[in-house]
Amino acid sequence: MTHYEEIDMFNDMSLIEDPYPYYEHLRAQGPAVYLPQHNVVAVTGYREGLPLFSNPEIFSAANAVTGPFPPLPFTPEGDDITEQLAAHREELSHSGLIMTEDPPQHAKTKSLLMGMITPIRLKENETFMWELADQLIDEFIERGSFEAIMDYGQPYATLVIADLLGVPEEDHKNFRMLRSNLPGQVGGEKEAVRDPLEQIGLQFYGYIEERRQNPRDDVLGKMAQVKYRDGTTPSVIDVVKTATFMFGAGQHTTVLLLASALRILGEDPELQAQLRADRSLIPKFIEEVLRLQSPVKGDYRLVTKTTKIGDLEVKAGTTVMLLLAAMNRDPAVFEDPHSIRLDRTNAGEQVAFGRGVHACAGSPLARGEAKVSLERLFDRLADIRINEAAHGPAGQRRFEYEPTYTLRGLKELHLDFTRA
Amino acid sequence: MVSITFIEPSGTPRTVEATPGTSLMEAATTNSVAGIIAECGGNCACGTCRVFISGAAKALVAEPGDMEAAMLEFLDDAGADLRLSCQVEVTEAMEGLEVTVSPEQR
Repeated sequence: MTHYEEIDMFNDMSLIEDPYPYYEHLRAQGPAVYLPQHNVVAVTGYREGLPLFSNPEIFSAANAVTGPFPPLPFTPEGDDITEQLAAHREELSHSGLIMTEDPPQHAKTKSLLMGMITPIRLKENETFMWELADQLIDEFIERGSFEAIMDYGQPYATLVIADLLGVPEEDHKNFRMLRSNLPGQVGGEKEAVRDPLEQIGLQFYGYIEERRQNPRDDVLGKMAQVKYRDGTTPSVIDVVKTATFMFGAGQHTTVLLLASALRILGEDPELQAQLRADRSLIPKFIEEVLRLQSPVKGDYRLVTKTTKIGDLEVKAGTTVMLLLAAMNRDPAVFEDPHSIRLDRTNAGEQVAFGRGVHACAGSPLARGEAKVSLERLFDRLADIRINEAAHGPAGQRRFEYEPTYTLRGLKELHLDFTRA
Repeated sequence: MVSITFIEPSGTPRTVEATPGTSLMEAATTNSVAGIIAECGGNCACGTCRVFISGAAKALVAEPGDMEAAMLEFLDDAGADLRLSCQVEVTEAMEGLEVTVSPEQR
């Protein structure tokens, strides 16, 4: 029995396993609707939501990561809270991170980030992806089974970023199992806890500090010399923050994408056979997984000036929650929206990575990681099946999802296979 | 305003009015031209606003800068005519320009 009218999606565990029927309940009321709690407007409409990504004057990214929690450190007054926000900005959760910055500060930070994810680095990094996939598969190939997240996805995503940023190979072992905390826990304390990312930060501080004193011509050496677009040199801390941010942003999301893809393939031998037979379909499949199981559930914006979303009047101070997977399932844009269709011509218009200046900078990385992983897993595992001991037989599967309202993804995924 | 025609991936021509000083990408997304995704919003970072500008029309647009050139080199469908429309600034001289939206945006 569901009570969608009163449900508090930020605190209700019943929406963790399958949030999608709730999104459709919201959509039935309109493309943008006020939720009963926390002064939040949920957006499920694709066309109504899209412009919000590109209008920072009205839709500030100040609360982009965790939305209504913790609550605003001030009481919004009137129809324009721009000044109130400016006065309290630093007290907001995740402040000082690129994701919560607005122009012009955002552009400055982003220039640092883009200096680390250059097309040429991505190309070099892809070579590492292929090797790493094999190394990790080697570790479980004899067993005939593996747990997709901790045996594969987690070390894979973390080490790919380590390589992208030029972490020396002898240090990879220090990074392998570092897993940052997930934001936006449901059913627990919504407070900041000490994050393992700090360890990554310390390590990078060492790398950058050392290379500022003794310049070296490696990737980290270039990172140490990177400048803002205006020609000024960032502090070591700002460089470290940007590098560390990439681990936080790129590990869980990519792993969750990969796990969703493997769960779908494990459940659907026919689809799996189709992709194995025609590998050119893999990117199309990944796009569909992104669309349907968008790893980031909601992207948030704070309304700074009273405005309209679609026909709904939205007051300054309201939190807007762009439900990415709901926008991606909008029947006005995506025909037969809940099905995987590899022949969809507009699959690439999905918004799993957001849009506008805050669009995920690591999207080519995530797509590459998913593609290379599926290619190598297909090469080396003759079939991929859901492990019934862990997840139950077909038709009665049990999957546990991460208990957070910010991210969508499996806690564990046990898979069986026959060695190719 | 300057008239620009985008040939959409389906082959349909779409003529839109663009403001000089803005980008071709902005003209396309403002008018919902099919096939232009522009995920990163004009940061020259995603490669999802690809258009082909060929023949005499090429003379009307400025050469790619360093960042665009680096991105173009990275794309599979890169050829001499491929451009990122977010990096192409609309000028008065472009009246009647025709560009073709690449069917590949990933």
